[in-house]
Amino acid sequence: MPRQVLEVTLTADSVAADAALAASGDATAFERLYRAHVNRVHSLVRRMLDADEADDLTQDVFVRAWEKLSTFRGESAFGTWLHRLAVNVVLARRKTLGVERGRFHAGEDSLEDVSGRRETPEVAMDFEEALSNLPDGARQVFVLHDVEGYRHEEIARMLGVVPGTSKSQLHHARMALRRYLDR
Amino acid sequence: MNDQWTDRLSEYVDGELANGERHALETHLATCAECRAIVADLRKVVARAKALEDRGPTRDLWPRVAQRIRGDRPVRHDRRRFSLTVPQLLAASIALILLSGSGAWLALKPRQSAVVTPRPDAEFAVLNVSTRRTDAAIADLQEVFDRSKSRLDTSTVRVVQQAFTTIDRAIAEARAALVADPGNAYLNLHLADTMRRKLELLRRVNAIAAAQS
Repeated sequence: MPRQVLEVTLTADSVAADAALAASGDATAFERLYRAHVNRVHSLVRRMLDADEADDLTQDVFVRAWEKLSTFRGESAFGTWLHRLAVNVVLARRKTLGVERGRFHAGEDSLEDVSGRRETPEVAMDFEEALSNLPDGARQVFVLHDVEGYRHEEIARMLGVVPGTSKSQLHHARMALRRYLDR
Repeated sequence: MNDQWTDRLSEYVDGELANGERHALETHLATCAECRAIVADLRKVVARAKALEDRGPTRDLWPRVAQRIRGDRPVRHDRRRFSLTVPQLLAASIALILLSGSGAWLALKPRQSAVVTPRPDAEFAVLNVSTRRTDAAIADLQEVFDRSKSRLDTSTVRVVQQAFTTIDRAIAEARAALVADPGNAYLNLHLADTMRRKLELLRRVNAIAAAQS
């Protein structure tokens, strides 16, 4: 077995071992899992919600993971399991905020707001910032599809819409963001 | 610009158009520079999205997470069945099963593996003999590993040592528990299985170290 493959395998084994230990109540093992995954979780949360919510929601994700660890059976990688859990926490939060439906179908004006700012250098946004200014529906779909790799059918199930809506929102998001490619 | 194809360009970029539509769009692209430019931009957006780098929080969130989970141990289905140390042994057992690709299928049935089936004493005697043999084999392979680990890079050795620490802790805990309850079927099987996992890991790592020479 090539050395690189071995290292990846052993690292995955180490994560699986930490997940099992954490499931039995080992907080030290859980802290190792937190350190290994916090950047990815925080980035997902920040991109799908407002930045000022990201810290609180990231904490919520890990607390929820701690509570649900006994349901992690190792069928998928721990990172995949945690990531899906994070998406669920974010979507639940959005429902709590009561913004999901209303803002999912609104948004053309917001898209124009995003694209309209590009011509003014003093308010120039980078790609991530432009992403955060997308209307919620387009932003969710873009992050889930283009950043996180979910399929339209999965996204539609998560968001309670039809796949066609997911495709349409994705296209609108991309059309707005193409103006920020060089930033 | 907004011709009949504009709203379908993302589907084209993602390869989601049916053959007939794709051919029709490609015919259109051959004559529409604007749509071609949009397609190129959309492909760049997709590539840019995939290249976004993850950034962590600006402050350490762990102290708050630790505070929130303190005193809130996860509830396992099998907790009621065993003494306090056994869930830890079970968790370590799962970790060890996951250390071996060939044993991964067992992880899919954790509840079944937790069910204790009493065995006749004769079977424990066989297990004890087997454990002594495994002890000797582990000692031999450990000696080989100690001699050959310099052929592996330090990060690999570190990960292996961490795995050994986990395994050794599980073995020690199982043995300690067996002193108090020598006839416990689960503990006997757990100890034998844990030792076998260590044996497998040692064989695997030693083979890789040998291949490096």
